Amino acid sequence: MKKDRFLAWLDGEEDLYEGNVEVKPQEEYEVPQEVLMERMRENKRLRERVNDVEHNREYKFFKHLYRILAVDFGILLILLLLLAVSFLPPVGHAANPDNNEVSARYIEKGLQETGAVNIVTGMILDYRAFDTLGESHVLFVAAVTVFVLLRAGKGKQEENDRIYEPKNDTILQKAAFVLVPMIMIFGIYVILNGHLSPGGGFSGGAIIGSGLILYLNAFGFAKTERFFTEKTYKRVCLFSLAFYCLAKSYSFYTGANDIHSAIPLGTPGAILSSGLILPLNICVGLVVACTMYAFYALFRKGGF
Amino acid sequence: MLEWIRFVAGTVFLAIGILIFFVQLAGVFRYKYVLNRMHAAAMGDTLGISFSMAGLMIFSGFNFTTLKMALVILFLWCASPVSAHLVARLETTTCGNLSDFCEVQEDKETDKEGEKA
Amino acid sequence: MIILQYLLLGFLVVCAVSVSLSKNLLNSIIIYMSFSLVMSMIWICLESPDLAITEAAVGAGVTSLLFFVTLKKIHAIREEETDEEG
Repeated sequence: MKKDRFLAWLDGEEDLYEGNVEVKPQEEYEVPQEVLMERMRENKRLRERVNDVEHNREYKFFKHLYRILAVDFGILLILLLLLAVSFLPPVGHAANPDNNEVSARYIEKGLQETGAVNIVTGMILDYRAFDTLGESHVLFVAAVTVFVLLRAGKGKQEENDRIYEPKNDTILQKAAFVLVPMIMIFGIYVILNGHLSPGGGFSGGAIIGSGLILYLNAFGFAKTERFFTEKTYKRVCLFSLAFYCLAKSYSFYTGANDIHSAIPLGTPGAILSSGLILPLNICVGLVVACTMYAFYALFRKGGF
Repeated sequence: MLEWIRFVAGTVFLAIGILIFFVQLAGVFRYKYVLNRMHAAAMGDTLGISFSMAGLMIFSGFNFTTLKMALVILFLWCASPVSAHLVARLETTTCGNLSDFCEVQEDKETDKEGEKA
Repeated sequence: MIILQYLLLGFLVVCAVSVSLSKNLLNSIIIYMSFSLVMSMIWICLESPDLAITEAAVGAGVTSLLFFVTLKKIHAIREEETDEEG
């Protein structure tokens, strides 16, 4: 059965660039023996000269110069920052710029316009949802960067970095057996109640990610790979971010003006209320949880 | 009258908790070897946190917050000893001259486990 | 309450200075963890529990965990003796 090409690319089975882009591997070349010897001698001479601290006047000079410059730079920076602080408006003054009509409107009409009891979530996922979109993408891009950087040595046999770590520790496993579901439920609660109580997608996602990391530490990669692989990560992140983009990227075209949502806001205080905030919270939570776990797995193993 | 009893009981519990924390702190800084310090820290953690939380629970009365505090105690009782156990196990497996610091009981089963691991 | 806030702020400054002054990288990370915890308490005092939860979960939990793993990967967790030799 022939798979769709997009799906095949998504699963990493087919590389669309293979054969289409001309890539010429670099040829190996022999370095002559004399050149190598000369290089080694040069290196040795250089090292001797550099390590000869007593007679190296430039080294001494620059050592002192760098110290003086570092202190000067630090003092300059501190002075600049203190100067900036001295121009700040006084704390709690009524005429401060942060007491303008924007925050007043958020506080007065936030519940009415967004339907979220928690004003903070109403702000970051409704009034300023576009900013949060950027934040989620920053996380995703960071994970992809780590992926690219740490995947370089995948062909080699990964060195065993768990020599001294407790393997298959019964106490840890029993504790994780009790604690991981509690942590997961707490994370899901924080995400789903993001528009009602403190918390939201980001914090709940971080809590779920910590729970996943605990599970990984207790039971090892063999167990987590059954439900969380590279494919899962890609799909979850892709669909969450795509949903978020579809829901909120109209800001590009309206010039950050809000469009009145067609979804009814519902009664404030209920779980199913405040329009798009709950699905967006879930999306952000999924991205954050997967990214946290992916970071840890990448750092530990260089893959999933 | 009942208010006074509650206040006194809560204060006593909190004071005991803080005292245990201070003893724990002294132990952590006084002992030199890892296992002793870890023992002091772990014991103080579990006991001190439970006493302090019990004091706070008595202060807050019988409501939803109290239930949350009880859950916090339960969570810490699960998490704190396990982390202490992991630290201790790491120390005993990595320390080459453990017998300099304490008595090491040679056990056949542990030997076998060590060979496996 | 004000006294508690001043205490926490002072502790924050002490933590921030000692992170950069400590010679051992592992110590720096642990002090940074306590910095995050104090910071989350200050967020609660400033009446922003959202930030407090995030700070406690990300700053104290996941970030320091990643730091530990990185230190282990680059073999920077060593005894002090080997540092003096090298």
